[in-house]
Amino acid sequence: MASRLRHIDARLKALALWKRGIAWLLSFALLFGVGGFIFAWIGFAPVSASAGHWPVTDWFLHWAMRNAVELRSLGTEAPPSLDDPALVLKGAGHYATGCAPCHGAPGQERPMIPGQMTPHPPYLPPRIPRWEAQELFWIVRHGIKFTGMPAWPTQQRKDEVWAMVAFLQRLPDMDEATYRELAFGPRAESAQPPPFARLGGTPGESLEKIVANCARCHGSEGAGRGSGAFPILADQSEAYLYASLRAYARGERHSGVMEPIASALAPQAMLDLAGYYADQPEAEAEIASGKPSSHEFAASELSPPELSPSEPSLSELSPSELSGKANAIDRGRSIAEDGIPGEGIPACVDCHGPGDQLRNVYYPELSGQYGDYLYLQLSLFKSGKRGGTPYAHIMHSVAKRLTEEQMRDLAAFYASL
Amino acid sequence: MPAAACPIGRACLFTFGCTLLFTLTGCDGPQSTLSPAGTGAARILTLFWWMAGFAFVIWLIVFGIAVYASRPKRSSHSANASRWLIIGGGAIFPTVVLTLLLVFGFRLMADLRTTEGADLRIAVTGERWWWRVRYLGQKDQSTELANEIRLPLGKRIEFILDSPDVIHSFWIPSLGGKVDMIPGRINKLVLEPTRVGVFRGVCAEYCGTSHALMNFKVVVMQAEDFEDWLATQAEPAAAPRSALARQGKKGFFANGCSACHTIRGTSADGEIGPDLTHVGSRLSLGADILPTTPEAFRRWIAHTEEIKPGVKMPSFGMLPDEQLQAMAAYLSGLQ
Repeated sequence: MASRLRHIDARLKALALWKRGIAWLLSFALLFGVGGFIFAWIGFAPVSASAGHWPVTDWFLHWAMRNAVELRSLGTEAPPSLDDPALVLKGAGHYATGCAPCHGAPGQERPMIPGQMTPHPPYLPPRIPRWEAQELFWIVRHGIKFTGMPAWPTQQRKDEVWAMVAFLQRLPDMDEATYRELAFGPRAESAQPPPFARLGGTPGESLEKIVANCARCHGSEGAGRGSGAFPILADQSEAYLYASLRAYARGERHSGVMEPIASALAPQAMLDLAGYYADQPEAEAEIASGKPSSHEFAASELSPPELSPSEPSLSELSPSELSGKANAIDRGRSIAEDGIPGEGIPACVDCHGPGDQLRNVYYPELSGQYGDYLYLQLSLFKSGKRGGTPYAHIMHSVAKRLTEEQMRDLAAFYASL
Repeated sequence: MPAAACPIGRACLFTFGCTLLFTLTGCDGPQSTLSPAGTGAARILTLFWWMAGFAFVIWLIVFGIAVYASRPKRSSHSANASRWLIIGGGAIFPTVVLTLLLVFGFRLMADLRTTEGADLRIAVTGERWWWRVRYLGQKDQSTELANEIRLPLGKRIEFILDSPDVIHSFWIPSLGGKVDMIPGRINKLVLEPTRVGVFRGVCAEYCGTSHALMNFKVVVMQAEDFEDWLATQAEPAAAPRSALARQGKKGFFANGCSACHTIRGTSADGEIGPDLTHVGSRLSLGADILPTTPEAFRRWIAHTEEIKPGVKMPSFGMLPDEQLQAMAAYLSGLQ
């Protein structure tokens, strides 16, 4: 009996010890909480960028970020085409606009002012190999809180983010000449990206200066750069180009690349630009052969061989590939001219040509456009994420009925014109 | 005096009267089975009255038995009488009545189903959510229109019914029974109108969001009038006469309407949506939901998706109003 009582007594004492321990812990937590609050209230919090971080803070924050990025990018799969030169090219143009001002680029390391940030944006080429493709994708798409790294301007365009990742993965072994050629085009020697605030030019700035920025990707004659990375603008109507710029500027058409540029343009500049590119002579002749023009794509000499345009010239195709391509064009022509009434797919030519019938100026001309670009736009329409001018919804009801193969055939047909 | 003395009774009488009045108003009108305008509907109505009569008699018998069973002073029946009541009332009587009805119904159906001796053949396709109507002529010739069927009085008309998408059901209550339109299958129905007039057809099988907005007009005409009408429908569209309508025709083609719609006599040859060759001559627009006034056309073109949710045609409300009005003038002028 007595031993039993002693046993209970010991257990009660142990419990009391536990309770006391928890009480102490709670008191400390409360003290720190209240203390921290008062610390911040008075204004002791160290917020100066000039002071930097203690090494331990720096380590802890980076450690937390790496873990977070790793966890959140789980389950994201990189598309197989990440080495597509067209994707690299597309990423390069925007890198010069949106990333290089803080992260630097081959030949322009460590910009001075962003270097005074805490944490300061790293010079990227040596850092890229530390990350997996899907981790880079997550960082570029979502940005990093408290570091100054912004999110991609739209969450609707994963394809653009992947283009940036494709470019970033090439960045570590890219020399300055290749970078400048990719990001600035054939006139790379003289080209400079405009500062952020003047992406679209300042009031009164000459049209040539604004065009010079557009021309980095779309060419000074609106012919693009020899692959589906950027669309041909030369054949389009002024009304359509202006409406598209406006749609980008108002966030009604989604693009992390075009939205920042268009939103910085004054209405008059948009009108002038639309008029400028609409007046350019048709560009389709050069593209129809599938060969890059030496003038527009000198990069094939400057850059590694795999950076040549994605569309091989017809002479490089084997006979079976050639006939496959011809079949695709024929299938595409049939859909474009007659539609597939049984599947609710109307003929494309009634709105988009070719043909000499009078057509609404807000409907884009598709003849001679890059096939890869057309396919991407159809995919975006099909996914329901392609905004645009007030006419864009017409395409949603059409594209959702198209299969992958039909979209490719249609793109091949229009690219062949 | 008795009615005034009993306010509850008076209220009951009033309610009953109102209900009867409301119910009776449903007995006539453009889609009533109770005022038939075709032989099929008349036969079905006969069947209905016989069934209603029988049902009333049975109801009286059942009610009578119930009253008899609940009388205050009950005595027991002989076992024999009870057995006969159960076997007779529970098995023999229903079997006889139902067999009679079945034979009666089968005899009716055989007449309704036969497609022999049809004077005219019309193919009707139910699509979400409208009706494609083709008058089949000699040698593969056909005249297509939509959401309106005109019929000659007193002729036997064979309907060839199918659907490309989901199951619909073709029903003109005033003319006959309903028949399902099943994808991948052709069903047939013969109607024989007996009275001139404008009636209403409906889709009688739930087929999606705008099922309730999938109706059509049925016009029964004298045979000569019908021939004239069909000849007009077979002709190509007339050229627009007013300047506004000419402008509208330009708008129709510039905006790509021709990719989905046919207007015979022009280059518009789309087959996805309704044939518009004589759309202005029809009695309704959008499968019997709007009139065919220029204003209704304008509204339909600008707000298609609001008026008929889920429709394939995109709204063209982004077009400038002048263009909408011009297109409305052109389409409503297609007589």
